[in-house]
Amino acid sequence: MAANGEGAEPEARPQPSHPRPLRRTGDFLGKHRLSAAISRLNQEIQYLQVELDELETMEPSSAACKEVVLSMEGKSDALLPVTPGPENPAWHRWFRPVQSSHSRKWWTHKGSDVS
Amino acid sequence: MSFSELKDRHVAATAMVNTLRDRLNQKRQQLLDTDVAGYAKSQGRTAVNFSSTDLVCCRTLQGHTGKVYSLDWTPEKNRIVSASQDGRLIIWNALTSQKTHAIKLPCAWVMTCSFAPNGYSVACGGLDSECSIFNLNSQVDRDGNLPVSRVLTGHKGYVSSCEFVRDQDTRLITGSGDQTCVLWDVTTGQRISVFGGEFPSGHTSDVLSISINSSNSNMFVSGSCDATARLWDTRIASRAIRTYHGHHGDVNTVKFFPDGQRFGTGSDDGTCRLFDMRTGHQLQVYSQQQANNDQDVPIVTSIAFSISGRLLFAGYSNGDCYVWDTLLAEIWAFGGHRKVI
Repeated sequence: MAANGEGAEPEARPQPSHPRPLRRTGDFLGKHRLSAAISRLNQEIQYLQVELDELETMEPSSAACKEVVLSMEGKSDALLPVTPGPENPAWHRWFRPVQSSHSRKWWTHKGSDVS
Repeated sequence: MSFSELKDRHVAATAMVNTLRDRLNQKRQQLLDTDVAGYAKSQGRTAVNFSSTDLVCCRTLQGHTGKVYSLDWTPEKNRIVSASQDGRLIIWNALTSQKTHAIKLPCAWVMTCSFAPNGYSVACGGLDSECSIFNLNSQVDRDGNLPVSRVLTGHKGYVSSCEFVRDQDTRLITGSGDQTCVLWDVTTGQRISVFGGEFPSGHTSDVLSISINSSNSNMFVSGSCDATARLWDTRIASRAIRTYHGHHGDVNTVKFFPDGQRFGTGSDDGTCRLFDMRTGHQLQVYSQQQANNDQDVPIVTSIAFSISGRLLFAGYSNGDCYVWDTLLAEIWAFGGHRKVI
Protein backbone atom coordinates (compact mmCIF):
# COMPACT_ATOMS: atom_id res chain seq x y z
CA MET A 1 0.00 0.00 0.00
CA ALA A 2 1.58 3.30 -1.06
CA ALA A 3 2.20 5.79 1.72
CA ASN A 4 0.91 8.71 -0.36
CA GLY A 5 -2.54 7.13 -0.70
CA GLU A 6 -2.33 6.50 -4.44
CA GLY A 7 -2.95 2.83 -3.85
CA ALA A 8 -6.35 3.54 -2.22
CA GLU A 9 -9.56 2.21 -3.80
CA PRO A 10 -11.43 4.75 -6.02
CA GLU A 11 -14.50 4.49 -3.74
CA ALA A 12 -12.49 5.79 -0.80
CA ARG A 13 -11.64 9.13 -2.52
CA PRO A 14 -13.90 12.11 -1.96
CA GLN A 15 -16.16 12.92 -4.95
CA PRO A 16 -14.62 15.66 -7.15
CA SER A 17 -16.62 18.86 -7.74
CA HIS A 18 -16.55 18.62 -11.58
CA PRO A 19 -17.19 15.49 -13.68
CA ARG A 20 -14.27 13.22 -14.51
CA PRO A 21 -15.26 11.24 -17.58
CA LEU A 22 -11.86 9.54 -17.74
CA ARG A 23 -12.42 7.83 -14.38
CA ARG A 24 -15.95 6.73 -15.34
CA THR A 25 -14.58 5.35 -18.61
CA GLY A 26 -11.86 3.64 -16.63
CA ASP A 27 -14.43 2.02 -14.33
CA PHE A 28 -16.51 0.93 -17.34
CA LEU A 29 -13.49 -0.60 -19.05
CA GLY A 30 -12.44 -2.24 -15.79
CA LYS A 31 -15.90 -3.83 -15.35
CA HIS A 32 -15.95 -4.92 -18.99
CA ARG A 33 -12.52 -6.53 -18.72
CA LEU A 34 -13.42 -8.19 -15.43
CA SER A 35 -16.63 -9.60 -16.91
CA ALA A 36 -14.71 -10.95 -19.88
CA ALA A 37 -12.10 -12.50 -17.58
CA ILE A 38 -14.85 -14.12 -15.47
CA SER A 39 -16.45 -15.58 -18.63
CA ARG A 40 -13.13 -17.07 -19.65
CA LEU A 41 -12.59 -18.50 -16.17
CA ASN A 42 -16.10 -20.03 -16.18
CA GLN A 43 -15.39 -21.63 -19.54
CA GLU A 44 -12.09 -22.95 -18.18
CA ILE A 45 -13.95 -24.41 -15.18
CA GLN A 46 -16.28 -26.27 -17.55
CA TYR A 47 -13.38 -27.69 -19.56
CA LEU A 48 -11.54 -28.75 -16.38
CA GLN A 49 -14.69 -30.55 -15.16
CA VAL A 50 -14.90 -32.39 -18.49
CA GLU A 51 -11.25 -33.43 -18.19
CA LEU A 52 -11.78 -34.63 -14.60
CA ASP A 53 -14.73 -36.74 -15.76
CA GLU A 54 -12.57 -38.14 -18.56
CA LEU A 55 -9.95 -39.24 -16.05
CA GLU A 56 -12.52 -41.34 -14.17
CA THR A 57 -12.53 -43.90 -16.98
CA MET A 58 -9.07 -43.34 -18.45
CA GLU A 59 -6.60 -46.23 -18.56
CA PRO A 60 -3.36 -45.86 -16.60
CA SER A 61 -0.02 -44.94 -18.19
CA SER A 62 1.12 -48.58 -18.48
CA ALA A 63 -1.20 -49.03 -21.48
CA ALA A 64 0.52 -46.23 -23.39
CA CYS A 65 3.97 -47.41 -22.25
CA LYS A 66 3.20 -50.82 -23.77
CA GLU A 67 2.25 -49.12 -27.04
CA VAL A 68 5.54 -47.20 -27.06
CA VAL A 69 7.54 -50.43 -26.70
CA LEU A 70 5.48 -52.21 -29.38
CA SER A 71 5.74 -49.28 -31.79
CA MET A 72 9.48 -49.88 -32.15
CA GLU A 73 9.32 -53.63 -32.85
CA GLY A 74 10.76 -54.47 -36.24
CA LYS A 75 11.30 -50.84 -37.22
CA SER A 76 14.41 -50.15 -39.27
CA ASP A 77 16.73 -47.60 -37.70
CA ALA A 78 20.16 -46.88 -39.22
CA LEU A 79 21.33 -45.01 -36.13
CA LEU A 80 21.07 -48.05 -33.87
CA PRO A 81 24.10 -50.36 -33.60
CA VAL A 82 21.81 -53.20 -34.67
CA THR A 83 18.69 -52.25 -36.63
CA PRO A 84 15.56 -54.11 -35.42
CA GLY A 85 14.10 -53.98 -38.91
CA PRO A 86 15.45 -54.70 -42.38
CA GLU A 87 18.43 -52.76 -43.66
CA ASN A 88 17.49 -50.13 -46.23
CA PRO A 89 19.82 -50.15 -49.30
CA ALA A 90 19.43 -46.34 -49.55
CA TRP A 91 21.49 -46.00 -46.36
CA HIS A 92 24.67 -46.91 -48.22
CA ARG A 93 24.68 -43.63 -50.16
CA TRP A 94 25.77 -41.90 -46.95
CA PHE A 95 28.87 -44.06 -46.68
CA ARG A 96 30.20 -43.76 -50.21
CA PRO A 97 33.31 -41.65 -50.80
CA VAL A 98 32.48 -37.95 -51.13
CA GLN A 99 34.68 -35.42 -52.87
CA SER A 100 34.79 -32.09 -51.09
CA SER A 101 34.40 -28.96 -53.18
CA HIS A 102 37.24 -27.37 -51.20
CA SER A 103 39.79 -30.11 -51.37
CA ARG A 104 40.42 -33.42 -53.03
CA LYS A 105 40.00 -35.26 -49.74
CA TRP A 106 37.87 -38.39 -49.77
CA TRP A 107 35.98 -39.68 -46.74
CA THR A 108 34.57 -43.10 -46.03
CA HIS A 109 32.48 -44.39 -43.17
CA LYS A 110 34.72 -45.60 -40.35
CA GLY A 111 32.59 -48.65 -39.48
CA SER A 112 32.16 -51.64 -41.75
CA ASP A 113 28.57 -52.67 -42.52
CA VAL A 114 25.34 -51.30 -41.18
CA SER A 115 24.01 -54.38 -39.41
CA MET B 1 -23.34 -5.68 -10.78
CA SER B 2 -20.85 -3.49 -8.94
CA PHE B 3 -17.13 -3.49 -9.55
CA SER B 4 -16.39 -5.06 -6.18
CA GLU B 5 -19.01 -7.77 -6.74
CA LEU B 6 -17.34 -8.57 -10.05
CA LYS B 7 -13.97 -8.69 -8.31
CA ASP B 8 -15.33 -11.16 -5.75
CA ARG B 9 -16.67 -13.34 -8.54
CA HIS B 10 -13.29 -13.20 -10.28
CA VAL B 11 -11.50 -14.27 -7.09
CA ALA B 12 -13.96 -17.14 -6.58
CA ALA B 13 -13.68 -18.33 -10.17
CA THR B 14 -9.87 -18.20 -10.01
CA ALA B 15 -9.91 -20.23 -6.79
CA MET B 16 -12.21 -22.80 -8.42
CA VAL B 17 -9.91 -23.11 -11.43
CA ASN B 18 -6.91 -23.66 -9.13
CA THR B 19 -8.79 -26.25 -7.06
CA LEU B 20 -9.84 -28.16 -10.17
CA ARG B 21 -6.29 -28.04 -11.57
CA ASP B 22 -4.92 -29.45 -8.29
CA ARG B 23 -7.52 -32.21 -8.38
CA LEU B 24 -6.62 -32.97 -12.00
CA ASN B 25 -2.91 -33.18 -11.12
CA GLN B 26 -3.62 -35.56 -8.23
CA LYS B 27 -5.87 -37.74 -10.36
CA ARG B 28 -3.24 -37.89 -13.12
CA GLN B 29 -0.56 -38.87 -10.60
CA GLN B 30 -2.73 -41.77 -9.47
CA LEU B 31 -2.97 -42.97 -13.08
CA LEU B 32 0.82 -43.02 -13.56
CA ASP B 33 1.34 -46.67 -12.54
CA THR B 34 4.61 -46.91 -14.49
CA ASP B 35 6.82 -45.00 -16.88
CA VAL B 36 8.28 -46.26 -20.16
CA ALA B 37 11.62 -47.30 -18.58
CA GLY B 38 9.86 -49.16 -15.76
CA TYR B 39 7.62 -51.00 -18.19
CA ALA B 40 10.46 -51.79 -20.64
CA LYS B 41 12.63 -53.22 -17.83
CA SER B 42 9.73 -55.32 -16.60
CA GLN B 43 9.58 -56.80 -20.10
CA GLY B 44 13.27 -57.67 -19.97
CA ARG B 45 14.35 -54.98 -22.44
CA THR B 46 17.97 -53.87 -22.22
CA ALA B 47 19.54 -50.56 -23.13
CA VAL B 48 21.08 -49.79 -26.49
CA ASN B 49 24.82 -50.43 -26.32
CA PHE B 50 26.89 -47.99 -28.37
CA SER B 51 30.51 -48.69 -29.22
CA SER B 52 33.03 -46.07 -30.29
CA THR B 53 32.50 -46.80 -33.99
CA ASP B 54 28.74 -46.23 -33.84
CA LEU B 55 27.21 -42.82 -34.56
CA VAL B 56 30.16 -41.53 -36.56
CA CYS B 57 29.87 -38.11 -38.18
CA CYS B 58 29.64 -38.63 -41.92
CA ARG B 59 29.11 -35.04 -43.08
CA THR B 60 30.06 -31.62 -41.77
CA LEU B 61 28.28 -28.78 -43.52
CA GLN B 62 30.47 -25.72 -43.32
CA GLY B 63 29.54 -22.29 -44.63
CA HIS B 64 27.58 -20.31 -42.09
CA THR B 65 29.46 -17.58 -40.25
CA GLY B 66 27.01 -17.24 -37.37
CA LYS B 67 25.00 -19.46 -35.03
CA VAL B 68 22.77 -21.92 -36.81
CA TYR B 69 19.37 -21.66 -35.18
CA SER B 70 17.30 -24.06 -37.22
CA LEU B 71 17.38 -26.61 -39.98
CA ASP B 72 14.94 -28.79 -41.88
CA TRP B 73 15.20 -31.73 -44.29
CA THR B 74 13.26 -32.32 -47.50
CA PRO B 75 10.89 -35.31 -47.31
CA GLU B 76 13.33 -37.26 -49.54
CA LYS B 77 16.00 -36.62 -46.89
CA ASN B 78 18.61 -35.51 -49.43
CA ARG B 79 18.57 -31.71 -49.00
CA ILE B 80 18.69 -29.45 -45.97
CA VAL B 81 17.80 -25.82 -45.36
CA SER B 82 19.62 -24.13 -42.49
CA ALA B 83 19.04 -20.69 -40.95
CA SER B 84 21.74 -18.68 -39.28
CA GLN B 85 22.04 -15.32 -37.64
CA ASP B 86 24.72 -14.51 -40.19
CA GLY B 87 21.57 -13.45 -42.03
CA ARG B 88 21.38 -16.30 -44.50
CA LEU B 89 19.50 -19.43 -45.37
CA ILE B 90 21.68 -22.05 -46.99
CA ILE B 91 20.30 -24.95 -49.01
CA TRP B 92 22.59 -27.96 -48.94
CA ASN B 93 22.82 -31.13 -50.95
CA ALA B 94 23.26 -33.30 -47.87
CA LEU B 95 24.82 -36.16 -49.83
CA THR B 96 27.61 -34.10 -51.41
CA SER B 97 27.79 -31.37 -48.70
CA GLN B 98 27.59 -28.75 -51.43
CA LYS B 99 25.58 -25.58 -51.16
CA THR B 100 22.97 -25.10 -53.85
CA HIS B 101 21.61 -21.73 -52.63
CA ALA B 102 22.74 -19.06 -50.16
CA ILE B 103 19.81 -16.73 -49.55
CA LYS B 104 20.47 -13.31 -48.05
CA LEU B 105 17.60 -12.52 -45.69
CA PRO B 106 15.83 -9.17 -45.35
CA CYS B 107 16.10 -9.63 -41.56
CA ALA B 108 19.21 -11.26 -40.15
CA TRP B 109 17.53 -12.27 -36.88
CA VAL B 110 16.12 -15.52 -38.16
CA MET B 111 14.98 -18.18 -35.70
CA THR B 112 13.32 -20.88 -37.79
CA CYS B 113 13.15 -22.38 -41.27
CA SER B 114 11.22 -25.07 -43.09
CA PHE B 115 11.41 -26.87 -46.44
CA ALA B 116 8.20 -27.14 -48.45
CA PRO B 117 7.13 -30.75 -49.21
CA ASN B 118 7.69 -30.23 -52.96
CA GLY B 119 11.28 -29.12 -52.31
CA TYR B 120 10.88 -25.91 -54.34
CA SER B 121 10.24 -23.41 -51.53
CA VAL B 122 11.62 -22.60 -48.13
CA ALA B 123 10.12 -20.51 -45.34
CA CYS B 124 11.81 -18.67 -42.51
CA GLY B 125 10.86 -16.34 -39.68
CA GLY B 126 12.34 -14.48 -36.75
CA LEU B 127 12.45 -11.21 -34.88
CA ASP B 128 10.82 -9.30 -37.75
CA SER B 129 7.52 -11.03 -36.75
CA GLU B 130 7.07 -12.14 -40.36
CA CYS B 131 7.41 -15.41 -42.18
CA SER B 132 9.18 -15.07 -45.56
CA ILE B 133 8.75 -17.61 -48.35
CA PHE B 134 11.41 -18.07 -51.06
CA ASN B 135 10.89 -19.97 -54.30
CA LEU B 136 14.18 -21.69 -55.10
CA ASN B 137 13.45 -21.62 -58.84
CA SER B 138 12.97 -17.84 -58.95
CA GLN B 139 15.26 -15.60 -60.97
CA VAL B 140 17.77 -13.83 -58.77
CA ASP B 141 17.65 -10.02 -58.73
CA ARG B 142 20.42 -7.84 -60.08
CA ASP B 143 22.35 -8.12 -56.79
CA GLY B 144 22.29 -11.87 -57.16
CA ASN B 145 19.78 -12.32 -54.34
CA LEU B 146 16.78 -14.59 -54.44
CA PRO B 147 13.69 -12.39 -54.04
CA VAL B 148 11.08 -13.04 -51.36
CA SER B 149 8.07 -14.56 -53.11
CA ARG B 150 5.58 -14.11 -50.26
CA VAL B 151 5.60 -12.51 -46.81
CA LEU B 152 3.20 -13.75 -44.15
CA THR B 153 2.39 -10.80 -41.91
CA GLY B 154 0.06 -10.65 -38.94
CA HIS B 155 1.95 -11.94 -35.94
CA LYS B 156 2.43 -9.35 -33.20
CA GLY B 157 5.60 -10.97 -31.92
CA TYR B 158 8.64 -12.87 -33.15
CA VAL B 159 8.17 -16.00 -35.24
CA SER B 160 9.91 -18.71 -33.24
CA SER B 161 8.98 -21.71 -35.35
CA CYS B 162 7.43 -22.61 -38.67
CA GLU B 163 6.61 -25.84 -40.45
CA PHE B 164 4.97 -26.60 -43.79
CA VAL B 165 2.04 -29.00 -43.53
CA ARG B 166 3.48 -32.20 -45.02
CA ASP B 167 0.82 -33.20 -47.51
CA GLN B 168 -0.12 -29.65 -48.49
CA ASP B 169 2.48 -27.42 -50.13
CA THR B 170 0.26 -24.39 -49.64
CA ARG B 171 -0.16 -24.51 -45.87
CA LEU B 172 2.23 -23.52 -43.15
CA ILE B 173 1.95 -23.31 -39.36
CA THR B 174 3.88 -20.76 -37.31
CA GLY B 175 4.45 -20.32 -33.59
CA SER B 176 5.09 -16.86 -32.18
CA GLY B 177 6.18 -14.74 -29.25
CA ASP B 178 2.68 -13.20 -29.41
CA GLN B 179 1.42 -16.44 -27.71
CA THR B 180 -0.42 -17.69 -30.78
CA CYS B 181 0.06 -20.26 -33.51
CA VAL B 182 -1.28 -19.53 -36.97
CA LEU B 183 -2.23 -21.70 -39.94
CA TRP B 184 -1.46 -19.84 -43.18
CA ASP B 185 -2.40 -20.21 -46.82
CA VAL B 186 0.98 -19.54 -48.43
CA THR B 187 -0.43 -18.84 -51.93
CA THR B 188 -2.64 -15.96 -50.70
CA GLY B 189 -0.67 -14.96 -47.62
CA GLN B 190 -3.87 -15.10 -45.58
CA ARG B 191 -4.30 -16.46 -42.07
CA ILE B 192 -6.68 -19.43 -42.15
CA SER B 193 -6.85 -19.91 -38.36
CA VAL B 194 -5.35 -18.42 -35.22
CA PHE B 195 -4.78 -20.77 -32.28
CA GLY B 196 -4.75 -19.01 -28.94
CA GLY B 197 -4.64 -15.30 -28.23
CA GLU B 198 -6.85 -13.54 -25.75
CA PHE B 199 -10.07 -14.82 -27.33
CA PRO B 200 -10.06 -17.83 -27.49
CA SER B 201 -7.74 -19.05 -24.71
CA GLY B 202 -4.47 -20.67 -25.55
CA HIS B 203 -0.89 -20.37 -24.39
CA THR B 204 -0.38 -17.70 -21.77
CA SER B 205 3.16 -16.90 -22.88
CA ASP B 206 5.42 -17.02 -25.94
CA VAL B 207 5.15 -20.05 -28.21
CA LEU B 208 8.67 -21.34 -28.81
CA SER B 209 8.17 -24.43 -30.92
CA ILE B 210 5.62 -26.39 -32.96
CA SER B 211 5.55 -29.87 -34.45
CA ILE B 212 3.00 -31.24 -36.91
CA ASN B 213 1.90 -34.86 -36.57
CA SER B 214 3.31 -36.76 -39.56
CA SER B 215 0.58 -39.43 -39.22
CA ASN B 216 -2.27 -36.90 -39.08
CA SER B 217 -1.43 -33.45 -40.39
CA ASN B 218 -4.59 -31.97 -38.84
CA MET B 219 -2.89 -32.21 -35.43
CA PHE B 220 0.05 -30.24 -34.13
CA VAL B 221 1.62 -29.54 -30.75
CA SER B 222 3.09 -26.30 -29.50
CA GLY B 223 5.54 -25.64 -26.66
CA SER B 224 5.61 -22.41 -24.71
CA CYS B 225 7.23 -20.25 -22.06
CA ASP B 226 4.11 -21.01 -19.98
CA ALA B 227 5.74 -24.41 -19.27
CA THR B 228 3.03 -26.34 -21.10
CA ALA B 229 2.65 -28.07 -24.40
CA ARG B 230 -0.72 -27.93 -26.16
CA LEU B 231 -2.29 -30.11 -28.80
CA TRP B 232 -4.32 -28.41 -31.53
CA ASP B 233 -6.62 -29.60 -34.27
CA THR B 234 -6.26 -27.26 -37.26
CA ARG B 235 -9.99 -27.59 -37.89
CA ILE B 236 -10.86 -26.35 -34.38
CA ALA B 237 -9.24 -23.03 -33.50
CA SER B 238 -11.55 -22.30 -30.57
CA ARG B 239 -9.59 -24.25 -27.99
CA ALA B 240 -6.59 -26.53 -27.56
CA ILE B 241 -7.58 -30.22 -27.60
CA ARG B 242 -5.37 -30.87 -24.58
CA THR B 243 -2.82 -29.11 -22.38
CA TYR B 244 0.16 -31.08 -21.09
CA HIS B 245 1.58 -30.10 -17.71
CA GLY B 246 4.77 -31.37 -16.11
CA HIS B 247 7.66 -29.14 -17.07
CA HIS B 248 8.90 -26.54 -14.58
CA GLY B 249 10.24 -24.12 -17.15
CA ASP B 250 9.89 -22.88 -20.74
CA VAL B 251 9.18 -25.66 -23.21
CA ASN B 252 11.76 -24.77 -25.87
CA THR B 253 11.20 -27.65 -28.25
CA VAL B 254 8.49 -30.16 -29.15
CA LYS B 255 8.67 -33.06 -31.62
CA PHE B 256 6.17 -35.73 -32.48
CA PHE B 257 7.23 -39.31 -31.85
CA PRO B 258 7.41 -41.36 -35.08
CA ASP B 259 4.24 -43.36 -34.23
CA GLY B 260 2.24 -40.12 -34.21
CA GLN B 261 0.63 -40.99 -30.85
CA ARG B 262 3.22 -39.49 -28.54
CA PHE B 263 5.45 -36.45 -28.57
CA GLY B 264 8.68 -35.36 -26.90
CA THR B 265 9.47 -32.02 -25.28
CA GLY B 266 12.63 -30.25 -24.09
CA SER B 267 12.68 -27.52 -21.48
CA ASP B 268 14.52 -24.88 -19.49
CA ASP B 269 14.08 -27.24 -16.51
CA GLY B 270 16.82 -29.38 -18.08
CA THR B 271 14.58 -32.36 -18.84
CA CYS B 272 13.05 -33.95 -21.87
CA ARG B 273 9.68 -35.63 -21.47
CA LEU B 274 7.53 -38.01 -23.46
CA PHE B 275 3.77 -37.37 -23.38
CA ASP B 276 0.94 -39.53 -24.62
CA MET B 277 -1.10 -37.39 -27.02
CA ARG B 278 -4.49 -39.02 -26.47
CA THR B 279 -4.55 -39.46 -22.68
CA GLY B 280 -2.24 -36.59 -21.68
CA HIS B 281 -0.14 -38.90 -19.48
CA GLN B 282 3.50 -38.00 -18.95
CA LEU B 283 5.11 -41.31 -19.91
CA GLN B 284 8.77 -40.61 -19.19
CA VAL B 285 11.13 -37.96 -17.88
CA TYR B 286 14.66 -37.84 -19.31
CA SER B 287 16.68 -35.98 -16.71
CA GLN B 288 20.39 -35.45 -16.13
CA GLN B 289 19.65 -34.08 -12.67
CA GLN B 290 22.67 -34.68 -10.45
CA ALA B 291 22.34 -35.93 -6.84
CA ASN B 292 23.75 -32.64 -5.54
CA ASN B 293 21.61 -29.84 -6.89
CA ASP B 294 24.25 -27.14 -6.50
CA GLN B 295 25.23 -27.34 -10.14
CA ASP B 296 23.12 -25.61 -12.77
CA VAL B 297 21.48 -28.12 -15.04
CA PRO B 298 21.90 -27.13 -18.71
CA ILE B 299 18.66 -26.38 -20.50
CA VAL B 300 17.37 -28.43 -23.42
CA THR B 301 17.37 -26.36 -26.59
CA SER B 302 16.32 -28.88 -29.27
CA ILE B 303 15.33 -32.53 -29.68
CA ALA B 304 14.84 -35.06 -32.47
CA PHE B 305 13.84 -38.73 -32.56
CA SER B 306 15.50 -41.36 -34.72
CA ILE B 307 13.20 -42.93 -37.30
CA SER B 308 12.08 -45.78 -35.02
CA GLY B 309 11.81 -43.55 -31.98
CA ARG B 310 14.32 -45.63 -30.04
CA LEU B 311 16.80 -42.74 -29.86
CA LEU B 312 16.08 -39.25 -28.62
CA PHE B 313 18.77 -36.74 -29.57
CA ALA B 314 18.87 -33.70 -27.27
CA GLY B 315 20.92 -30.53 -27.63
CA TYR B 316 21.72 -28.63 -24.44
CA SER B 317 22.67 -25.02 -23.73
CA ASN B 318 26.22 -25.98 -22.71
CA GLY B 319 26.87 -27.17 -26.27
CA ASP B 320 26.56 -30.87 -25.50
CA CYS B 321 24.46 -33.23 -27.56
CA TYR B 322 23.34 -36.42 -25.92
CA VAL B 323 21.47 -39.44 -27.11
CA TRP B 324 18.78 -40.92 -24.89
CA ASP B 325 17.63 -44.52 -25.17
CA THR B 326 13.92 -43.61 -25.18
CA LEU B 327 12.87 -46.98 -23.78
CA LEU B 328 15.32 -47.34 -20.91
CA ALA B 329 15.96 -43.62 -20.21
CA GLU B 330 19.72 -44.09 -20.37
CA ILE B 331 21.93 -41.45 -21.84
CA TRP B 332 24.99 -41.42 -24.09
CA ALA B 333 27.28 -38.57 -25.00
CA PHE B 334 28.81 -38.56 -28.47
CA GLY B 335 32.14 -40.34 -28.22
CA GLY B 336 30.58 -43.49 -26.79
CA HIS B 337 30.78 -42.71 -23.07
CA ARG B 338 27.86 -43.96 -21.14
CA LYS B 339 26.11 -41.93 -18.45
CA VAL B 340 23.60 -43.73 -16.28
CA ILE B 341 20.91 -41.68 -14.61
